[in-house]
Amino acid sequence: MLDIKTLLILIPALPLVAAVLTAALGAPILRTRSHLPVVAAIALSSVASLLLLARMQEQAGQGRGGQETVSLWRWADVAGDGQNAARQEALSPGHSLSRDFRVDVALEADSLTAAMLAIVTCISTLVAIYSIGYMRGDLGYWRFFSYIGLFVFSMTMLVSATNLVLLYVFWEAVGLCSYLLIGFWYERPAAADAGKKAFLVNRIGDVGLALGIFLIWTTYGTVDFREVFAAAGNSAGDWRTTVICLLLLAGACGKSAQVPLHVWLPDAMEGPTPVSALIHAATMVTAGVYLIARCMPLFATSVTAQCAVATVGGVTALLGGIIAVTQTDLKRILAYSTISHLGYMFLALGTGTLLGVTAGMFHLLTHAFFKALLFLAAGSVMHAMGGVIDIRRLGGLRRRMPVTHWTFLVGCLAIAGVWPLSGFWSKDAIVLAVQQRYGSGAASTLFEALFVTATFGVLLIDFYMFRPYFLVFWGKERIPAVAGGHAQESPRVMTAPLIALALGAAGVGAYFAWTGSFARFLAGSPSLAGLGPAMGELPRSGHESIALLSTAITLVGIVLAAFIYLGGPQRAARLARAMNVIGLYSLSYGKFFFDPLYHALVVWPLLGAARLAAWFDRRVIDGLVDLFGWLPALVGAALRPVQGGLVQFYALAMMLGLLAMLGLLLM
Amino acid sequence: MNFNELLQDVVQKDTLASLRAVQPELTLCATIIAILLAKILIPAWKQSPFHLTVIGLATAMFVGFPWHGSAAAAVSTLAQPIFTASLVSDSFTTVVRFFLLTFAMLFAAFAEISTDGEDDRTEFYVLILGALVGMCLMISANHVLIVLLGVEMASVPCYVLAGLKRRQSKSSEAALKYAVFGAGAAGVMMFGLSLLAGGLGTAHLPAMAANLAKMIQGGISPQQITILSLGGLMVMVGVGFKLSAVPFHFWAPDVFEGATAEVAAFLSVASKAAALGLLMRLCSAFAFPADMYFHSPIGELLPQASLIAALAPVRQYIVAIVAVLAAVTCTFGNLAAYGQTNMKRLLAYSTIAHAGYMMMPVAAAVALIRVGSDGVSVDGARDAVASLVTYISIYLFMNLAAFAIVAFLRNATGSEEIADYAGLVRRSPGLTVCMAIVMFSLVGLPPLAGFQAKWVMFYSLIEAAHVCPALWALLSVGLLNTILSLFYYLRVVRVMALSPEPLYREAPTIPLTSMVGMYCGLLTAPMLLLFFALDRVLPWAHAAASTLF
Repeated sequence: MLDIKTLLILIPALPLVAAVLTAALGAPILRTRSHLPVVAAIALSSVASLLLLARMQEQAGQGRGGQETVSLWRWADVAGDGQNAARQEALSPGHSLSRDFRVDVALEADSLTAAMLAIVTCISTLVAIYSIGYMRGDLGYWRFFSYIGLFVFSMTMLVSATNLVLLYVFWEAVGLCSYLLIGFWYERPAAADAGKKAFLVNRIGDVGLALGIFLIWTTYGTVDFREVFAAAGNSAGDWRTTVICLLLLAGACGKSAQVPLHVWLPDAMEGPTPVSALIHAATMVTAGVYLIARCMPLFATSVTAQCAVATVGGVTALLGGIIAVTQTDLKRILAYSTISHLGYMFLALGTGTLLGVTAGMFHLLTHAFFKALLFLAAGSVMHAMGGVIDIRRLGGLRRRMPVTHWTFLVGCLAIAGVWPLSGFWSKDAIVLAVQQRYGSGAASTLFEALFVTATFGVLLIDFYMFRPYFLVFWGKERIPAVAGGHAQESPRVMTAPLIALALGAAGVGAYFAWTGSFARFLAGSPSLAGLGPAMGELPRSGHESIALLSTAITLVGIVLAAFIYLGGPQRAARLARAMNVIGLYSLSYGKFFFDPLYHALVVWPLLGAARLAAWFDRRVIDGLVDLFGWLPALVGAALRPVQGGLVQFYALAMMLGLLAMLGLLLM
Repeated sequence: MNFNELLQDVVQKDTLASLRAVQPELTLCATIIAILLAKILIPAWKQSPFHLTVIGLATAMFVGFPWHGSAAAAVSTLAQPIFTASLVSDSFTTVVRFFLLTFAMLFAAFAEISTDGEDDRTEFYVLILGALVGMCLMISANHVLIVLLGVEMASVPCYVLAGLKRRQSKSSEAALKYAVFGAGAAGVMMFGLSLLAGGLGTAHLPAMAANLAKMIQGGISPQQITILSLGGLMVMVGVGFKLSAVPFHFWAPDVFEGATAEVAAFLSVASKAAALGLLMRLCSAFAFPADMYFHSPIGELLPQASLIAALAPVRQYIVAIVAVLAAVTCTFGNLAAYGQTNMKRLLAYSTIAHAGYMMMPVAAAVALIRVGSDGVSVDGARDAVASLVTYISIYLFMNLAAFAIVAFLRNATGSEEIADYAGLVRRSPGLTVCMAIVMFSLVGLPPLAGFQAKWVMFYSLIEAAHVCPALWALLSVGLLNTILSLFYYLRVVRVMALSPEPLYREAPTIPLTSMVGMYCGLLTAPMLLLFFALDRVLPWAHAAASTLF
């Protein structure tokens, strides 16, 4: 009854309808029931996604091609010229491409899309349910759910688009939703500024993506993924492919908050916490990862591009981890942790092997669960503590908020990668992929360095996650005054999603890693075809040693955190002093001074130029315009007396005019 | 063929066919008679003859337009010389006449709304309809006598209309000035036409052109050139008077200020459209006398191509006169509009400037007739005429809307001074928005129809400038004027929207939902719609152009 094509349309359509419905009826009719259409639609959407996943798996099991396309309508159709065709022919002889510029609004399901759809919709459902409790009583209640519906629509469209132009449209659409939701409490200047910052920084990346798409079009003569990959396969090693990949990477860096475009994500925490969980941790920020995974056939042809992706990922993973260690705002710690984990995903994708890409996507899946869980748990704390999220002002909450405490702990263990929770499996897979990569293949020195970085990063993860855990939930009970005397566990509607996510964070990794089904399923995607042998046939040697190594590091990290933060504030202060001998503490606490640096290098020069331009406009241009308006008035004033009102003069003027024209002609 | 046969032929074939072609004009005449008879025969009938007028106009529109079939189809079926080729009925006539009738319909509604409950209504409508018949003659004229007849028939009712407010001395003064000036201009034009007809030995316009071509081919003496040039210039005086082209425009500001806004709207649109139609006819006849405008085939006189080739100096002459007049008119109108404090006077100068703009495509069309070794190419000329027709169709709405709002505001405040519009946006936001849209459209800013009008016009001018480099100057004058006009149009909007409301005056509240407001909305909507739906008008504009050249 519900075939893949129908499901593929239903998944984005339901949230869109709900969003429009809520936008139209929210304020006047639905009011406090505004969540109903959106939550219902997203829940149905997630059911549809799971059904789709099952159908896809069924098909893959039967050995049929894992791709289904549904074209809705043709958006653009511009007939091309022969010149372009000739260039294509020269570039990839024998490969006939449509030389017309065609953009279809078409959706396609392959295993990559199906997996992304399932992750997005499932997490969205849980977060939306949680939001019912979290956002209750907010003035913009209906507005919030309308935006959420719009976001789910855009994100599902983004991951199912068949061509780059459509992807770009929804890339911008999720950016818009992000902007709207970061600035959701726009009456707070910090929120409005954060929204603006996110938008502007993303714009830098988006320019890269747009240029990348332009270059793809001029190089391959098409923007359709399948045709691009087919063409790219024929022109391996072309320098243009490398440039395309680097441009796409720039776009991905913006959206996925990678160094150097990561500065917007911590500020984005000004939005409501469910938004941070959904958009700025679990789903939207993974769009960059998805983009690179989707364009893997391009990246596979260029070692330079792979190295760039891996380096960006490795540097980001390390920087994010170091900064997270010293932050005091729980949500910002989680934000830097997100940046760091996205870095891990990029690092995995940068290996360019099937093992690496599936590991990256696998980490995307597990990260979505445990990071959403951690954010929502942090939100639960924030909700109970009257909006306070500074870990220095909190303490000993484990007795008052047992559910939040336990789920947060599960999240911490999962993110730290304690066996057998999900983080363990996905992080191991990444470290293993990097290790395999430097064992065999080009640029082995770089990947060896990245391997060390990744391993060190694991230590940081444990440390920076257990630091807030111990500070907030253990020690002497400290509750800020704004929370009042009635600080208590959050309502059922918020804790239920927490528990569901905790179960997911605990179990999802082990299930997929043991069965190996995730990687096998994902390998069926045409984007990952041609990356090498499937997971099952990979050498497993070294896996155990990696597992042992990372478990050991994990334990060291946790014990270290416990030793420092359970023993009182003096130890932490002493550690900070010791680290500051080489300036490390100040660097970390100051977030490596990216923001002041950008202010000095980019914002101030631009502002100066803008002021200059404004002055020029006001004084010079406006002056000229005023002159233009002033001169004719003067001439007009001189001419007006001619219209004296005497008809004799009019007749005379008529005759004079006639004579003047005659004179003119005779000349 | 003896005289009897000839007479039979004229009466039976020509007249009957011709009468069918002038059905709209006959309908208008019948309406006039019906209104007058009703007034005389039914003394108790005190109502305004508005309904009769509308019925008459609707009937005329119905019979005078090919409602079935496309624009392209209309071109071939319509073209015919009528009444022994003294008039011509073709798609240009049909389309422009349709615009005139549409305008008259809208105008009647406007007059009815704005002058509710006044006497003189019968006279008003009869005069309007009479002038319309004259205008229809102007746009289909193919003979010197019809040119004269049409101009006079269109003018005389207008003199009376200008003086309709008998009790106001300003109105009477305006009417008198108008009549005196008009009489002078008509006299000059008649002199010019007789010079031309005498010099060329016929009064039938295409035949005059054919004779002229023959004279040019056979060598033309300087005396003849002087007489004919003078004749042409004198004809231009008459047309320029109707067009209110500088320096024959002096009547316009006084008359517009003295007459009611309703009459000013009629003069500024209908009169001007008809004058442009006549100008186009005259230019077409002398620059490119097509076969179909002759009573008998032209082949008897000269082969077509050589005829048109021989007329090249005439075309240069026409382009020069029209272009110079257009540039001067446009610039003068815009400059003089600065500093006007009376809204109707400002609009008077604005219409003068627009007359200048609308003369530009005429020059472009004539310049774009190209005679090469491979025949005559008229595609560019057709585009230029089409741009003129498009401009007229948009101008019709713009100017009527401007005058309508002025009239409604006069009814509400009793003032036509711009200063008295201050702060109207607070009382009548809808009306102010309508006014702003109209003003922006008159400037020619997108996304309003006025932009499209200027766009097609300047485009054809660019095309023409490629052929005749002197027209680059005309183009730059036109563009510069568009910028100039921005200031005084926007001043009106600024006063209405930004100036504070005076304390001592209750500004009128005219909601968009009132009759007046809805009418303004109806007129303003095409400003926006035509910008996007211009392709509804363009085929007809092209159809109108395709028989002229």
